[in-house]
Amino acid sequence: MVSLKEKLLSDFEGLKIDDREADRLFIDTQKEAVLSLLSYLKKAGYNHLAMVSCTDWIDEGKFELVYIVNAYLSGDQVFGKKEKKCIVIRTKISRQSARFMTVMEIFENAEPYEREMHEMFGIDFEGHPRLTPLMLERDYKIPPFRKDFDTLNYVNNTFGKIPSIEQRKEGLK
Amino acid sequence: MRELELYYGPQHLGMVGNFSITLQVEGDRIVKASANPGYLHRGFEKLMEQRTWMQNFPLVCRINVVEPDHMELIYAMGVEKLAGIEVPERGKYVRSIYCEMARVASHLFGAWAYANMLGFDTVAHWAMYHRDLLLDMFEELTGARVYHIYLRPGGVRRDFPDGFTDRLVETLHKIGGKVPDYNATFFENSLFRKRAECVGIVNREEALRMGAVGHTLKATGMAYDIRKIEPYDAYDQIDFDIHTREKGDAYSRLLAIRDEMIESVHMIFKLIDKMPAQGEVCTKTPNPFKWTIPAGDAYVRCESSRGELGLYMVSDGGSKPYRVHFNTPSYNHGLTVLEKALEGESISDVGNIMISLYVVAPEIDR
Repeated sequence: MVSLKEKLLSDFEGLKIDDREADRLFIDTQKEAVLSLLSYLKKAGYNHLAMVSCTDWIDEGKFELVYIVNAYLSGDQVFGKKEKKCIVIRTKISRQSARFMTVMEIFENAEPYEREMHEMFGIDFEGHPRLTPLMLERDYKIPPFRKDFDTLNYVNNTFGKIPSIEQRKEGLK
Repeated sequence: MRELELYYGPQHLGMVGNFSITLQVEGDRIVKASANPGYLHRGFEKLMEQRTWMQNFPLVCRINVVEPDHMELIYAMGVEKLAGIEVPERGKYVRSIYCEMARVASHLFGAWAYANMLGFDTVAHWAMYHRDLLLDMFEELTGARVYHIYLRPGGVRRDFPDGFTDRLVETLHKIGGKVPDYNATFFENSLFRKRAECVGIVNREEALRMGAVGHTLKATGMAYDIRKIEPYDAYDQIDFDIHTREKGDAYSRLLAIRDEMIESVHMIFKLIDKMPAQGEVCTKTPNPFKWTIPAGDAYVRCESSRGELGLYMVSDGGSKPYRVHFNTPSYNHGLTVLEKALEGESISDVGNIMISLYVVAPEIDR
């Protein structure tokens, strides 16, 4: 039997696959291949998009998008059926022009995740029907989950400095 | 008929926590619903990047107010995976018992919320009282009633006190003895069935398409449970069933929750029977102030009482996490499934459907 890793390596170019964990498969890929890879995996039975995440590698000047897919297995099925239970797909996009394609056509439930990534990291997902704010109510110059967003600075500038206990004692006198 | 926009929430009976929803209604039928979270957004994931691995425990449990224990578990599992720590045998059992206790307490809270919402006040009081009995057990074990901070990477903070398992069994028998009363007054009550049956139907195809997990999927006949698919802790040591229902409506979802709660109690008995009598409950970990974890990333998942709970965690080799992202079951249920399930339903059923999806608002916002 050909393993999933071998199949993927023969069908796609430029994949870096790490399978040292028994039930995980970490795949590093070029950003162009993500959509075809996701639809390939969906056809292969990995029909559940568990999450979409993002890491800000500020030193490299890249955002790393992470798509985690797994199979909807039922408790009655033989669990050995799917050899790797979770597949983690990682791809890097430029931090300067942070844009990517939406995967909603393949996995409908990517919608809120991509909306959140848009809000928190400022990534534009082309083809996403509603990139409106999800959680936040204020406008941020730098999207708040980026590494260069200084939380302390932001709080001081927006809400004013909180006086120290000594200063407050002085004020009371 | 004229279409109107109706703001529902953020304070309403359909949700534990604050969460609003904008409804487009025609008469009393809902044409379109759009969820509006963010009232409880505290930026925990960002805050965790600035605190050490161990300092984050008081934060993770606050992500889900109703059952903080699975949040602790998933975070501890993430750190263990990245640092390559193993949990000792007895520690695994203690963890599993603790998490099943949390599941029962959380489902009792869910029963309270549902009964309270529909006006079954007696049942609501029972459920709250029985949850309180379990909170007493948590207090004895951990010193706290709601946020226990009991799990830690490598195991648990302390072993069970003397005679704890006997008292736990006694408490569970006390709660279990009330199940026929719960059935008669609530689960099989015709008034309740009239409100909940054939309401908010999410069929299996829709549920799979929208990424539903947990009881929403179990109510459509899919026994999708991480404890079976990818057993963690001591779940591969015992035999247990996943209870499913077929219809996918609000009533099936609640019955799936009830069955899971009863199964959890049986699981606790089995775990106590099989637990090694002696042994360590925690692996020694480095000094938390100087603890650095090798660079890498990990995805771990467990079955919380609401469904598959995941955590993607990245370390850059430092003393703090580089990135933490929780994938909570309520996120999918509250934002994707809820919007779909509300379409075409009446305004009076909004709270009913929301609560049957068992969404906890702080878990969405994090």
